[in-house]
Amino acid sequence: MRADQPITPPIGGGLEGELRRRTLAVFGRSLHIRTVDTGSCAVCESEIRLLASPHYDLHRLGFFFTPAPRHADLLMVTGPAIRAADNLLLKVVQATPDPKAVLAVGACALGGVYCEDELVHGAVDRVVPVDVYVPGCPPSPLALLQGLLVAVGRLEERVAALSMDLDAPGPAADGGDAS
Amino acid sequence: MTHAIGGLAIGAAAAWLAAACIALAAGRIVGLRAAAWLSGAGGIVAVVGGVLLAIHGSGATLHLGSSTVGAATFRIEPLAAPFIVLLGAVAVANGLYAPRYHEPARGTAIYLLAYNLALLASLAVLVAGDAVAFLVAWESMALFCYLLILRHHRRSGVASSAFLFIALSEVGFLMIVLAFAILASRTGTLDLAQMAHRSAHVSIGWRAAAYLLALGGFGFKAGLVPFHVWLPPAHSVAPADGSAFLSGMVLKLGVYGIALFAITLLAGGPAWWGVVTMGLGAVSAVLGILYALMERDLKRFLAFSSIENIGIIITALGASMVFTAYGQRAIGTFLLIVALYHALNHGIYKTLLFQEAGVIEHATGTRDLDRLGGLVRRLPRTAVIFLIGTMAIAALPPLNGFVSEWLLFQGLFQGFRISSHTVGILIVVAGALIALTGGLAIDAFVRAFGIPFLGMPRSNPAANATEAHQPTGGPALLAAACLFLGIGAPLVLTALDRVARSATGNDIRAKLIVPQLGVIPAHTSFSEFSPTYLAAFMLAVLVVPIVIYLAGRPRARSRRPPVWDGGIVDFKARMQYTATTDANPIRVTFAPLYQPHVHLERSSDDPAGRSGPVHYRFSVTPIFERYLYQPVVWLVKTIANLARPLQNGDVNLYVFYVFVMVLIAYAVYRS
Amino acid sequence: MAIWFFRGLRKGIATTRYPKTLDPWTRDLPTPPAFHSRRLTSGLADALAEACPSGAIRRAGPDLVIDLGRCTCCGRCLELAGDAAAPSGEFQLATVDRSGLVKRVPIRGDHGSRA
Repeated sequence: MRADQPITPPIGGGLEGELRRRTLAVFGRSLHIRTVDTGSCAVCESEIRLLASPHYDLHRLGFFFTPAPRHADLLMVTGPAIRAADNLLLKVVQATPDPKAVLAVGACALGGVYCEDELVHGAVDRVVPVDVYVPGCPPSPLALLQGLLVAVGRLEERVAALSMDLDAPGPAADGGDAS
Repeated sequence: MTHAIGGLAIGAAAAWLAAACIALAAGRIVGLRAAAWLSGAGGIVAVVGGVLLAIHGSGATLHLGSSTVGAATFRIEPLAAPFIVLLGAVAVANGLYAPRYHEPARGTAIYLLAYNLALLASLAVLVAGDAVAFLVAWESMALFCYLLILRHHRRSGVASSAFLFIALSEVGFLMIVLAFAILASRTGTLDLAQMAHRSAHVSIGWRAAAYLLALGGFGFKAGLVPFHVWLPPAHSVAPADGSAFLSGMVLKLGVYGIALFAITLLAGGPAWWGVVTMGLGAVSAVLGILYALMERDLKRFLAFSSIENIGIIITALGASMVFTAYGQRAIGTFLLIVALYHALNHGIYKTLLFQEAGVIEHATGTRDLDRLGGLVRRLPRTAVIFLIGTMAIAALPPLNGFVSEWLLFQGLFQGFRISSHTVGILIVVAGALIALTGGLAIDAFVRAFGIPFLGMPRSNPAANATEAHQPTGGPALLAAACLFLGIGAPLVLTALDRVARSATGNDIRAKLIVPQLGVIPAHTSFSEFSPTYLAAFMLAVLVVPIVIYLAGRPRARSRRPPVWDGGIVDFKARMQYTATTDANPIRVTFAPLYQPHVHLERSSDDPAGRSGPVHYRFSVTPIFERYLYQPVVWLVKTIANLARPLQNGDVNLYVFYVFVMVLIAYAVYRS
Repeated sequence: MAIWFFRGLRKGIATTRYPKTLDPWTRDLPTPPAFHSRRLTSGLADALAEACPSGAIRRAGPDLVIDLGRCTCCGRCLELAGDAAAPSGEFQLATVDRSGLVKRVPIRGDHGSRA
């Protein structure tokens, strides 16, 4: 991302634009987040906790943490969805009023690290529908912020345009270049 | 009218005497019901008579007997009016309650006999016109109450509790006899009205002695601290309607006795009498509620709460005496009215609470708060009625407890009008102690309602409780009375004002009830408050959320998810607060008072108790029993032991005693 | 409290300006690998799939498929592949579409040319 790139790209037309417009209308200004741990190693939780530190400060962007699902707009789910936490996860999702968004955070929640077996589902979207996926192990707080801003429609995704082929023509991820 | 009131009093007495006789047939359900209803009918007559007495202001005088057999005078004074109304109300409620609560049995027959005779004796105490009649009635009442408590005499602890009751009642009776004896000998008459007239001429020292003896003696019956130690055991082992009668009515007889001495017989005493009375009352109030919070047994808890409320009543009475002694007669009369009003209120809602405690005990088989829970689903009607009683005793608007405590504070806050700064400060301190009591009472009754009724059942009997065949009529009537006494307070206070006017000669009607159903504490520019309009306002305010809900319903689509419980998979009853843990902050804060003994036994060093159970035993040090009563008992026993050699059974020694007495008599006769 | 005030005046505001700008230290964040398709051989691709502990890399026919969602940025594939792979430097990977995280890299190094 270069310094002269616009922050919030203008909302286009069509279905996608309409969806972003509505998401922004509901979630754009203030969002309450509730974290759910379905068996993670708690490093993702450490990074999430860092969001409230003065360095990252999610409050300046209008995000707030809340312990009560009834007050939450967005759920950040970490961990590979162990089966023992099924009840908890379903209850939290049920208790959160609509409209809500579910974020799956971390490689475990996205299906990595653990395979599906009798103890573990392996991925959160095998239990509850997930709206936004945030990869990383753990995702840096900046990656978490990007995930949150994507979820509320204030930032556009970058993954679609990304190519992991360094020898491919066209705009690509520059190896080692943080631009 | 005077004769009508007299007639009503005789009617009530006759009804109770008849009920006592019929009670002997209470071995069958027909006899039980007949006795109970007749008792209740007597109660209705008493209530009507009391109300008429309050409004009309004087009752009849009745002389019984002759100079050969012994005479007794009965005089119906207005000061007794609120107590007669209370007696009648308790009788009515118990009359409705008894048939469903008691089993038809021989024990019930004797119990009902004793109970109705106790009602009769209480009425006699309230209308006694001379000292001897009063004392005979008093002692009979105590004796019949003793029989009441012994209903289940085969159960453990009942006999000893009853013995403690009668023993301390006798000690109090001795003091009362001494008080009456002093007054009778100094005024030369046994008739109470004449004693009142002539007592002004008795020297202040004798009057003070008489008052202090009366305060102590009646304090034993009323349950003032430190004369209270018999109260919790006795009130908890008696059957529920017996406990209701004891807590609701008999304690008020002690209050009546103190009021009789303070207001009628020894009117115009110095301020320090009032200060001592007020101090005893305030200390009783605080200690009563503090010990109540440590109780797991519902009836012991209610008994300590009675101690607390008696403390409040006596504080009002004492403050009334202080204000009157300093010339603030209007406020003094006002506080007397508050004392009578609170006595009436407490009688009503304490009777209600004890009756419901009886229902709970019958439905679940236990009085232990730590074994109850979730009863609001199993016993819904009981829950509602108990809630009304709890709200009344915790002084929540718009019920009667709130009105009387509010007015008490309004009276106490006017302590600045007293010329002596020291006494003014003492009144403020008493007010602060009563305020502390009020806060602790809310905590205590939240616990008393929340633990048994809300949450999950903590034991199987609680989970299987059923409301079938449980008495509801009596408690429901009392709950309605609580509502009426609260919302209709201006009416009740007007009647009590007439009582106070007859008793003290001060008329504060204009300074008590203002137009628009407002009540003012004896001063027009101090404060004003209308219980009736408050109740109407609260009802109106309730409409607002209802309207919002109804208006929003068509538009808002709602989804009904389960209650958010933190994601806990399986709620166990053991995860809840218990009565013991709920009172833990109080226990920790007031530990220097309680001197608690905690005994903790672990099976191993594992703090989570994984390798075996952890035993926790906790007890409060009974400081009054240990540091006041036991030394006295030890002293008496020591003296008795020392005197034993005098009675060693040797006939020769006894003949020697006779010989010595003859010598002494001869010497005295000769000189 | 004064010490923090003056330190703040000296050092400036410590809060990141994200999403307006990226801090320079983000350059060093661990990120999923990007590959030089011309240096990838089938053998290397199989070895990489074997080495990935999270199952993020697998070989699907002529392509190396990397699931960015599963990558834990452990670096084993970078070590194994040598100059055929490099950290992508891309950590802002949030997406609505899960399948968008699965990227295909054609294996073009099989003909031996490493140009």
